[in-house]
Amino acid sequence: MTRQLTDRPRAAVEPKPAPTPRARWSARTRRDFFVFLALALPNLLLIGVFTYLPLFNNIYYSTLDWTLGSASATVVGFDNYVTFFTSSDATKVLGTTAVFTLITVGGSMVLGLLVALALNSKIRGTTFARSAVFAPYVLSGVGVGLVWLFIFDPGYGVLAWLLRGIGQQSPQWINDPQLSLVMVIIVYVWKNLGYCAVVYLAGLQSLPQDVMEAASLDGANGFRRFVSMALPLLSPTTFFLLITTMLSSLQAFDLIRIMTPLGNGTSTLIYEAYLQAFGAFNRAGYSAAISVVLFAILLIITVLQLRFVERKVHYS
Amino acid sequence: MALNLDRRHFLGLAGAGAGAAAISACGGPSTGGSAAATGAADIDFSGVKPAASIDFWSNHPGKSQDVEKAIIEKFHAKFPDIKVNLVTAGANYEEIAQKFQTSQAAKSGLPGLVVLSDVWWFRYYSNGNIIALDSLIKQLDIKVDDFQKSLVADYKYEDKQWALPYGRSTPLFYYNKDHFKAAGLPDRAPKTWQEFGEWAPKLQASSGAQYAYIYPALAGYAGWTLQNNLWGWGGSWSNEWTFNCDSEESVAALQWAQDSIFKDKWAGVSSKEAADDFAAGITSSTISSTGSLLGVLKSAKFNVGVGYLPGGPKSESPVCPTGGAGLGIPSGVSKEVQLAAATFLKFMTEPENTAQFSAATGYMPTRTSADMTAVLAATPQIKTAMDQLAVTRVQDNARVFLPGADQEMAKAAAAILTQQGDVKATMTSLKATLEGIYTKDVKPKLKS
Amino acid sequence: MSLLSPVSPDPAANAGPAADAFDADPGIPPQRHRPFSRANLVQTLAGGYLPLIVATLVVFLPLLWMVLSSFKQPGEIITMDLKILPESLNFENYNIAMTTVPFAQFFLNSLIVTGVGATIKVLLAILTAYALVFVRFPYKNVIFVLILVALMVPPQVSILPNYILIAGMGGKNTLWGIILPGLGTAFGTFLLRQHFMTLPGSILESAEIDGAGHWRRLWRIVVPVSVPSIATVALVVVVSEWNDYIWPLIITDRPETMTLPVGLTLLQNSEGNGSGWGILMAGAVLVIVPILLVFAALQRYIVAGLTQGSVTG
Repeated sequence: MTRQLTDRPRAAVEPKPAPTPRARWSARTRRDFFVFLALALPNLLLIGVFTYLPLFNNIYYSTLDWTLGSASATVVGFDNYVTFFTSSDATKVLGTTAVFTLITVGGSMVLGLLVALALNSKIRGTTFARSAVFAPYVLSGVGVGLVWLFIFDPGYGVLAWLLRGIGQQSPQWINDPQLSLVMVIIVYVWKNLGYCAVVYLAGLQSLPQDVMEAASLDGANGFRRFVSMALPLLSPTTFFLLITTMLSSLQAFDLIRIMTPLGNGTSTLIYEAYLQAFGAFNRAGYSAAISVVLFAILLIITVLQLRFVERKVHYS
Repeated sequence: MALNLDRRHFLGLAGAGAGAAAISACGGPSTGGSAAATGAADIDFSGVKPAASIDFWSNHPGKSQDVEKAIIEKFHAKFPDIKVNLVTAGANYEEIAQKFQTSQAAKSGLPGLVVLSDVWWFRYYSNGNIIALDSLIKQLDIKVDDFQKSLVADYKYEDKQWALPYGRSTPLFYYNKDHFKAAGLPDRAPKTWQEFGEWAPKLQASSGAQYAYIYPALAGYAGWTLQNNLWGWGGSWSNEWTFNCDSEESVAALQWAQDSIFKDKWAGVSSKEAADDFAAGITSSTISSTGSLLGVLKSAKFNVGVGYLPGGPKSESPVCPTGGAGLGIPSGVSKEVQLAAATFLKFMTEPENTAQFSAATGYMPTRTSADMTAVLAATPQIKTAMDQLAVTRVQDNARVFLPGADQEMAKAAAAILTQQGDVKATMTSLKATLEGIYTKDVKPKLKS
Repeated sequence: MSLLSPVSPDPAANAGPAADAFDADPGIPPQRHRPFSRANLVQTLAGGYLPLIVATLVVFLPLLWMVLSSFKQPGEIITMDLKILPESLNFENYNIAMTTVPFAQFFLNSLIVTGVGATIKVLLAILTAYALVFVRFPYKNVIFVLILVALMVPPQVSILPNYILIAGMGGKNTLWGIILPGLGTAFGTFLLRQHFMTLPGSILESAEIDGAGHWRRLWRIVVPVSVPSIATVALVVVVSEWNDYIWPLIITDRPETMTLPVGLTLLQNSEGNGSGWGILMAGAVLVIVPILLVFAALQRYIVAGLTQGSVTG
């Protein structure tokens, strides 16, 4: 992996201009113009038609009072946004989104770092373990959701059985909205912590040797030394993970759909948008407004990331 | 239908011209036109030739996929010119509705015939998604008088028939005869919940089962089955369009339910399918749909008893809601398809076939003339379900006419029955939610 | 599943040369030069294996449970006394799963959708990334930002408009209807662009002097030295196509055109009660195991590629 983190040579901090030499003939420029179109246009058109057009359609729909399935709609301007932000839905949905995002992001990052530390040793078998912890990340959310749903099943799940063994009743994972959220968070972290672990591992392996030695986790002060010496050097990795896991948490869908189809307690922004349109209410316009809110949040996070990177360039 | 074609036509023209409308031209809603047509206009089917092939969207209520296939095969033998494709369009009524509504939005891929539940048909009607069946009933001579009256009446609105009953059910009280015997209890369902409250501790002490009673899974069931508790205590989700779910009676009923779980600790709440929990022996009794009957009888390793739903302190009868699904015909398909679908609809609901469907699932036969002797000989318990039909009560408006209300009720039930939330406060907030849905989504569409 | 969101538009973020992925070669211990210190020895003995074993078990036990349960009959599942091992290696559940719904058909559909979709996507990504990096064009930065923003649009948000569009084109219940909306690839373009930025300009310049056109430069020089990165993109794309759920769910309702994850939901619809768990687990095995095998075979690329550029944020 890219080992050069802090000890990277000065090179390559500014975006390199494309290595094509300056144009010599305008004919060449014109030819390049068409070459570019020939190469890039199919992809750009597809992105335009199936990503941007829906996005704009969504923004348009968000100004409508439109019941899905109905052929006509009324233009209501910003009413859907006003309704969302003034209703109790907003606090509930934004709260659920915040809880889900913070805990899944924090959980996978902290656990990921711990696993990465365990993997970052010379003993045999780390390669296998690294692949193993990463494996859930590539599995189908539908399949994983079903498997865990069975494990959590309060009647016949293995978890309920273990609890019965110590004289406890299984919590109401399915019926209790708060526990549903806990359940989905656990599974989400299980599925994604391998990603954080592998990224952190790459970060750890790019640290200077002496730092890692001094900060190795053994000894009474090992942890403190790790926190004070190695962790700051890992901050670019941490920041990268923070952004990427936050973006994917905000877009988490398959697991929620499979494990809690009605979304009671697990209605994050994206799921609420889905439910409002395709669930019982069929409020397509309202759903589009929630989608737009979500998109705005995602956009803000990305812009923050870009700004941060710009600043980073100056001291790297 | 003619209406719809015209509108689509209009949309296309408008889209081609106006720039602003261009975005919606590829299928979004029209914002210029008048209010949605309701498909209420009588359609003339004379001279129409049925389509050669239709889709039948079902979620196979009561694990009915095999029997549906069998009846379709019989249909093919009798009407070789119409091919029926059975499509699994969802796991439950919500998912099938979701698919149906999405197809409506795209104005394509609609089925000829669709299963619609008690909480969905009105929404389809008010969106203009289904047609009135009256002219088809007349043309094909469907014997509406031979249907169970109350079941047909459920789909009547504005003096028109919007669907016909299909997998119709009532909840039943299921009990483990062996457990009841061991506890020294009579071999019958309790008359009231108070009576069961006395039985429950005995049951729990002697049976070894985790619960004496398990409440049906909240999602999909709470709004339906808790009507039994509410009505028994003299409460309800709503009275006509007055939402009185926070009335003293309603609160008392749900308080009692909450106490049975948290105070008296003899009841639990199912996570998925109470009938399965019952069949597995987790609980000595439960309430579940008649549609679960055959499944329970097949998998339970003990003697299964069924009875009427228990009453409450205010009312012993009628305290049983009807429920389940009907069949409707979408407005967005051609007349030919509609006619073919109606032909199949007629066949599907014929006495012989409704009896066959009933025998395979436990759902009630929808026709009074259905010959049930063979069915009852094999499964005498179905008789209880059929008899209970006489003491059913029409469901509360709040549940069947307000879109999404069923799920809001399930959420409220979750707060009360699993989180031990304050009953009165939960019901007050539910009331506000229901009123909100009514004002926003229903009231404007009601014909006064 | 959004596999990887933008890393950084900063080319430095991706400074690793093409050999990056090979650096992560599992055969080579990561810390070659690290002395085998006493402290390290202690660490190895005290805490080395235990966390690894725990982490591996946490991943594998649920999957093992899935496999074990897939052999259990309803009576072994709907019961209060749990049996860990199935009574016998009974393939009945697999049989039911495959006859209730046409799993072979789902498998074939998934293969086609993944094969065709992933091939085109990778191709488009290579072409677009090459154009963005090596071909002169005005507004390239604007285009790049638009690609970045496209990464931010959650696919679920586009469902309804895309459904209306594709269904209007007659793409409902067709494989092309499943494939088409996902073909434009912002992610692959982004990742490859980041990689191409790191290629030394000199090799291309010399090729240009030799008179090689763009097409030859792309396939003779850029692609060969970028195989690891392309492999990474390919695997990420394969995985996400294979697992894609919500779009195929919405656009198909006939088993003939369903993909595996949708088919699994169909199975859930048919067997969605307590006694159906064994059958559902058999279905889950059929969906999960193929991708697990692909991953096991090619994990070093995928793991390496996914972390590409990550350490510099």
